[in-house]
Amino acid sequence: MISEEQVRRRVTQIMAEEFELEPELLQPDATLYEDLGLDSLDAVDMVVALEKAFGMKMTDEEAVRAVRTLGDLFEVVGRLSNQQAAKE
Amino acid sequence: MKAEVVVIGSGISGLTAAALLAKKGRRVIILERNKRPGGALKRFTRRGIPFDIGFHYSGGMGKGEILRALWEYIGVWPRLVVLPFPPEGNENLRITDSGRVIRAFFSYDRLEDELQRVFPGEKQGISTYLNRIREIANTIPFFNPDLPLTPYLHDLFSPKSISLAQFLTSLIQDTDLHAVLSSPVFLYGVPPREVNLTIHASVAHPLYSGVYAIDGGGQAIVDAFLATLAEAGVDILTGQEVESVLVKENQVAGVKTSEGEICASHVIYTGHPTSLLDLVPDGIFRKAFYNRMRNLINTDSMFIVFGAIDDPDTLGDLTWANYYNIGTGLDIMNLDLRHPEKWIMINAPGRRDSNSTGASRGVLLIRMSVWDEVARFDQGVQGKRSAAYRKWKAESADKMIEQAGRLWGNAFSRIEPLAIGTPLTFRDRLGSPMGATYGVRHSMNQFSPGVRTRLPGLWLSGQGTLMAGIMGASLAGMVTAGEIESLEPLWDEVRQCR
Ligand SMILES: Cc1cc2nc3c(=O)[nH]c(=O)nc-3n(C[C@H](O)[C@H](O)[C@H](O)COP(=O)(O)OP(=O)(O)OC[C@H]3O[C@@H](n4cnc5c(N)ncnc54)[C@H](O)[C@@H]3O)c2cc1C
Repeated sequence: MISEEQVRRRVTQIMAEEFELEPELLQPDATLYEDLGLDSLDAVDMVVALEKAFGMKMTDEEAVRAVRTLGDLFEVVGRLSNQQAAKE
Repeated sequence: MKAEVVVIGSGISGLTAAALLAKKGRRVIILERNKRPGGALKRFTRRGIPFDIGFHYSGGMGKGEILRALWEYIGVWPRLVVLPFPPEGNENLRITDSGRVIRAFFSYDRLEDELQRVFPGEKQGISTYLNRIREIANTIPFFNPDLPLTPYLHDLFSPKSISLAQFLTSLIQDTDLHAVLSSPVFLYGVPPREVNLTIHASVAHPLYSGVYAIDGGGQAIVDAFLATLAEAGVDILTGQEVESVLVKENQVAGVKTSEGEICASHVIYTGHPTSLLDLVPDGIFRKAFYNRMRNLINTDSMFIVFGAIDDPDTLGDLTWANYYNIGTGLDIMNLDLRHPEKWIMINAPGRRDSNSTGASRGVLLIRMSVWDEVARFDQGVQGKRSAAYRKWKAESADKMIEQAGRLWGNAFSRIEPLAIGTPLTFRDRLGSPMGATYGVRHSMNQFSPGVRTRLPGLWLSGQGTLMAGIMGASLAGMVTAGEIESLEPLWDEVRQCR
């Protein structure tokens, strides 16, 4: 089981590094598109980076598409990581 | 020099994109690093025998089919003499382990009959498989052009569907049949356990719907495009390697080549997506994009003997049949490095030429290969490599010729090798990392690159973005041109040419 806090820290770190974002911007209520300035082209790069870091597949397409804020992302990454770890 | 659009690369994707954009009134320049245009479609000649490299046959050229419609729209179709494979044309698949020979005909009906005859216990699974491929094709706009393109392209690489291997094992017991139904993977380079059914169907469906050769081979396609492009005022500058993409105010401004600078507001890059990173100034893309492009997994490579035979008639029905010797089961792409010549394929695309004086004597022996086989020889420049490399090449070729003789009769052991292609050759000639035959692997385990990039005016195209094969790459050129113009209206005009 990966804890909420671990997910939060790791996702924040990946987003800061891979998208060169200021860490103070990376708050749970920050929206990916408006506040962080990502666009639809970044979405796939983000999924790829997170899948690699967490060793899981972001297979729940509906949930991934519904992600608006960083907090939503924490939730999806945490849930899929734990689900997939449980299956293995 | 100045253009509106610079196309980097003169393979089928670059030629297609350039022709479409010129038709829309844009001023287009194509830049090609090699001396001759055409990318993988070019032919080369040894001892008067022309050899094809990257085009042996393709689907999609029947009446109402998409490649034909696209090429009609562009205006190259009337310049081509298309040769449909006759009904008896087939992939002649010999399964090593059992010695069974299965003729996989290029027709849904004939294929179904043949498979049900050889595998009577699997009748139900065979029908289910073929129906499922047909059903999936019906959801793909390239095979059902009444559909719009955008939703399909959006979902193309979504991971939700199951793999070909999972699908086949759920339907069928016989491992020889697994190999037979997986065999189209050789035409796009993704192992059965890694490919989703949509990608598989986009090659298997046109294959089962009928395949075509072109009189004069891939070179005739290149020449037809060159004639059309010349009429449209497109310049093709060969021997010019693009060294960087010029950027001004966070927008494409042109390219710098080995010969100078060309201004343009759009640049289409058709080479391997990983190599794009070297052409763009630092800081343009985010780190996540660099990492993703750098870590793309590629298809494996091939080892090809381009050989000659004095009395081609002794090779039987090789004109319209491609001979394969493959393993049983789902690991048909796993190369046995101790006996890499065990599984081979042999064909003779030149024999289909109508004016076949020289071409009919050419034969290709092909096997899978991986970079590890040649990494130790990767020093010195092309044409001046070590004696050890030449020795390894010659010995490997001889082993393949012997194997062909053992499998298909003595006549085959009389093939004389005239040229040899290895992963090193394909790396150097096609610019594909580690000689990857089909470039980026369209695997379920990764997202293939899209057409748009974060840099306004910079676009990707080529087999890496959509699909391998000349149909995939030509359609990729159409998609990129469509993104620059307007995708659905262009699609509308193309599909009206059905
Ligand atoms: C051995 C083999 C057999 C095949 N058999 C078939 C077949 O039977 N049927 C089929 O449908 N498909 C076949 N294919 C696949 C098919 O050939 C390819 O999918 C298709 O030709 C790819 O087209 P493309 O335009 O994407 O790339 P390419 O044809 O590789 O063109 C890219 C071009 O870009 C140029 N370029 C790259 N970088 C630069 C730069 N910086 N500056 C200038 N120029 C640059 C390259 O020199 C090259 O000419 C085969 C491929 C191989 C290798």
